[in-house]
Amino acid sequence: MTEQELLFGLRHGEESAFKELVTQFQDKVFNTALGLLQHHTEAEDIAQEVFIQVYRSIQNFKGESLLSTWIYRITVTKSLDHLRSKKRKKRFGFLSNLFGDNNIPLYEPEDFNHPGILQEKKEDAAMLFKLIELLPENQRIAFILNKVEELSYREIAAILDTTESAVDSLLQRAKQNLRKKLTELPP
Amino acid sequence: MQNKFTEERINSIMESLGGMQPAVAPDFFYTRLKGKMQPASEKKTFLLLRPAFITATLGVLLIINVFSLLQTAKAPKQDSTVVYSKPATIESFATAYDMNTGSVYE
Repeated sequence: MTEQELLFGLRHGEESAFKELVTQFQDKVFNTALGLLQHHTEAEDIAQEVFIQVYRSIQNFKGESLLSTWIYRITVTKSLDHLRSKKRKKRFGFLSNLFGDNNIPLYEPEDFNHPGILQEKKEDAAMLFKLIELLPENQRIAFILNKVEELSYREIAAILDTTESAVDSLLQRAKQNLRKKLTELPP
Repeated sequence: MQNKFTEERINSIMESLGGMQPAVAPDFFYTRLKGKMQPASEKKTFLLLRPAFITATLGVLLIINVFSLLQTAKAPKQDSTVVYSKPATIESFATAYDMNTGSVYE
């Protein structure tokens, strides 16, 4: 099915088209969300929300960019919104603890292990993912899209609505920051 | 600050994502997605039966009632020039409207 046929089907509410879209993009969306959120269950929830959003707002898609670019953009936005909301909840987490909340902590920090990492690199990758979380938003997105989803500079530039040189600059700064953070880690 | 990582170790950490395979969506992703989409439409249908909606509606009605009662209670005080000394009778009504001229047959 071509992209035009897929779009036609989606705009006419055809379930087969929606199923085809999900089959085509579920791994890309999940992998991107997982890279940004570093949590399997949350990544699955966000991936589902992305497809619900696509289903509901397909009429608003003007076709000015590729369908994949649009879907990646929604994934990034939803993942970042989720992270922001998580941070907000974390700030007020102490209140929940005061008022009981079944004594279940809102956040259990744990090392994130991406399922696609080679066994011998798992420990290093877990450390790197921890530091990626500390990067500024744009650098983090560019880094994840490039290293985890293996997108080209052109694709990342389209998703972030910027230029390829800006993406290159973001990636360079991300690497510098990560190196700096690694050297600053306490013994 | 004393650093525990050598340059070689830093390089190793920086390159740890190299050769990674992309994660795949969990099994039955589409089935779960359809399941998540279904209740959303059902919830809309039964909005009127949701406790939050019912409570909010009752709350608004209660506020309107209290407001109306307060307004009604205030109303007689504004008309304080009229003295209700005794219950109105037909005679007093006729007097008030100057209708005591007698019948047209008299």
